[in-house]
Amino acid sequence: MFRIIKKSLKIGVVTGQYRKAEKPAVSVAPEVKEKARLFKQSLAIRAVDTGSCNACEMEMNALLNPVYDAERFGIHIAASPRHADALVVTGPVTVNMERALKDVYKQTPDPKLVIALGDCAINCGMFKGSYAVTGPVDRHIPVDLRITGCPPRPADILQALADFRQESSVDS
Amino acid sequence: MTEARHCDDILKAAFPAVRQNDPVCAKSSHFLVPKDLLPAITHYIHTQPSLRGRLTLLWACDHRPVRDTYGLYYLFTLEASHHWVVLSTELAGTDRLFPSITPHIHAAQWYEREIRDMFGLIPQGHPDLRRLVRHEHWPKGTHPLRKDFSWDCVLGRQQGEHRFRHIEGEGVFEVPVGPIHAGIIESGHFRFSVAGEPIMQLELRHFWKHRGVEKLFEEQTLIGAVPLAERVSGDTAVGHSLAYCQAVEALLHLEVPRRAKYLRSLFLELERLYNHLADIGAICHDTAYALAHAHCDRMKERIMQLNDRLTGSRFLRGVMRVGGVTRDIENAQLTEIVEELNRIQPDFSEVGAIIFANASLTDRLETTGILHEQTAWDHAVMGVVGRASGMNGDLRRDRPFAAYDELPVNVALYRYGDVRARLRVRGDEIQESIRLIRELRGRIPEGPIANEPSCSPNPGDWTLAAVEGWRGEILYMVMAGEGGRIHRCKVRDPSFVNWPAIQWAVLGNIIADFPLINKSFNLSYAGNDL
Repeated sequence: MFRIIKKSLKIGVVTGQYRKAEKPAVSVAPEVKEKARLFKQSLAIRAVDTGSCNACEMEMNALLNPVYDAERFGIHIAASPRHADALVVTGPVTVNMERALKDVYKQTPDPKLVIALGDCAINCGMFKGSYAVTGPVDRHIPVDLRITGCPPRPADILQALADFRQESSVDS
Repeated sequence: MTEARHCDDILKAAFPAVRQNDPVCAKSSHFLVPKDLLPAITHYIHTQPSLRGRLTLLWACDHRPVRDTYGLYYLFTLEASHHWVVLSTELAGTDRLFPSITPHIHAAQWYEREIRDMFGLIPQGHPDLRRLVRHEHWPKGTHPLRKDFSWDCVLGRQQGEHRFRHIEGEGVFEVPVGPIHAGIIESGHFRFSVAGEPIMQLELRHFWKHRGVEKLFEEQTLIGAVPLAERVSGDTAVGHSLAYCQAVEALLHLEVPRRAKYLRSLFLELERLYNHLADIGAICHDTAYALAHAHCDRMKERIMQLNDRLTGSRFLRGVMRVGGVTRDIENAQLTEIVEELNRIQPDFSEVGAIIFANASLTDRLETTGILHEQTAWDHAVMGVVGRASGMNGDLRRDRPFAAYDELPVNVALYRYGDVRARLRVRGDEIQESIRLIRELRGRIPEGPIANEPSCSPNPGDWTLAAVEGWRGEILYMVMAGEGGRIHRCKVRDPSFVNWPAIQWAVLGNIIADFPLINKSFNLSYAGNDL
């Protein structure tokens, strides 16, 4: 046990060692800002994969590693929709996942935010039109924030989540 | 060559009714087999001691409008020579029935159910004809890969519920998990039957993420479909795009420059590195060993940032193209890669030594989730999972592609088949990948990085290509269509083969160990569901 603690001490702090996001801040509607204001200090996320290629999941997982450490900003992953403030949806909505997405939305308590992560969730990306895809996320449930990219870099996701909640507090 | 002739002779002597056809790719034989003979000949190839063929791929193809038939293709890899044997048969006219080989060859189970769903061809004698890809709410008679099915049609909805296998008895209850999971995991459903803690039965219900990838390929051109191949399974962008490119290059008779081949190997090893590091971390995480997880994730992040600096993509997307690679890696960058790996290697070795010396971790990992060698063989399991269960196979050594003919690979092999063995395979492969990249830097020749295609293939030509991705064998069958388009593209991620095996690896384990076992397999849902 001491060896790994010694190792951690030797390595030092790696948090924040990444290239900062280049993307401009996202613009969000005033009523969404109002809703996001509640979660400016902490945000419990339920990850919902409706048919992504799993690159978006990889980058969301990277948010929790010591380099990005999203928990610094009060962002954590909830194990149940009942504990969630926000749904982060990745991937185009497939025929088989449509019901599950609607169910999870219903099971999330209000007020809630829906974040479409990645190009597929926003506009179906390369899978647009396929018989097995029913459309982007906002065809099924209302979307509050869109984070573009295929996949978006973890730094971009972190920045978008910060701006989104920050803007609202400035506004208020 | 003699090996090939030897196996051809054995087959022709045993089954005079088969006709030999021209081989579809290097190191392979192709036989036309009458439909009724299929169970006998496949059983023979699978069990004959001098052949011991492993079912590697089974796919169907709708040949319309060229001719009014469905083709069925069976690919076996012979154990000793790694020679490929392709058997094909055709269903003409209104014939929709073919004999199932599942009663003899367990590995055919999901393939045959997939063919039934996607083409509406019925495997007679199959023990389990429930739907696989099409969930029960899909209307009757929808078979997406038939040529008369439009790629962009809107599906209706019908009533229907999946029938799970139930175990009944006092104290037996079922635990449903998914499709949406508690962490950041892809979508899939697991149904456990338990009596107390130990798992008596696990049934998978997958294909929630079916996006119609194979049908979408048919809307693409041969040259233009590389980005789609990269998105079959996001964490295997290089593996999938490389396998696809190799298939198309074989169809176009296109030679790839040596430098491009080396760069392809480099990208494939970088992909293996970041994924294996992430997996080792994730296995530690599932045993609540948070510090080791943090260290592995830190190293994984360094490789991904390196990828980003080299190619502009953390997942190495956009580097592969038909005929070579899209960007050169200059010598200064190669030095940068090697220097970064020189820092990561002692770092990882140290963490590895700490992990393997940890008694409480070893206690969790040893004898957990054992996949026995016989079960692995029966399911034709491959890749990391296979190599942890004594399946001695690695395409980089057995059927060299890219630059592996000049870069000999030491294959990691363990026999225990438990979570720890799968962890060890990954640890060894990380060291091996670093060694390969170092060696590659010393050997990489100067020269062009891509060749332009000059001819177009005849409609109906097809070929197979295989790549050892970080999970295991990735296979692509590409059949050319009219005007440089794709008639049919069969995609096979190793996950499709390894998923059913997990149902056996968990038996007798406690349900709390399932996440750990699942993580040690770490299979792709997207690559499986397509």
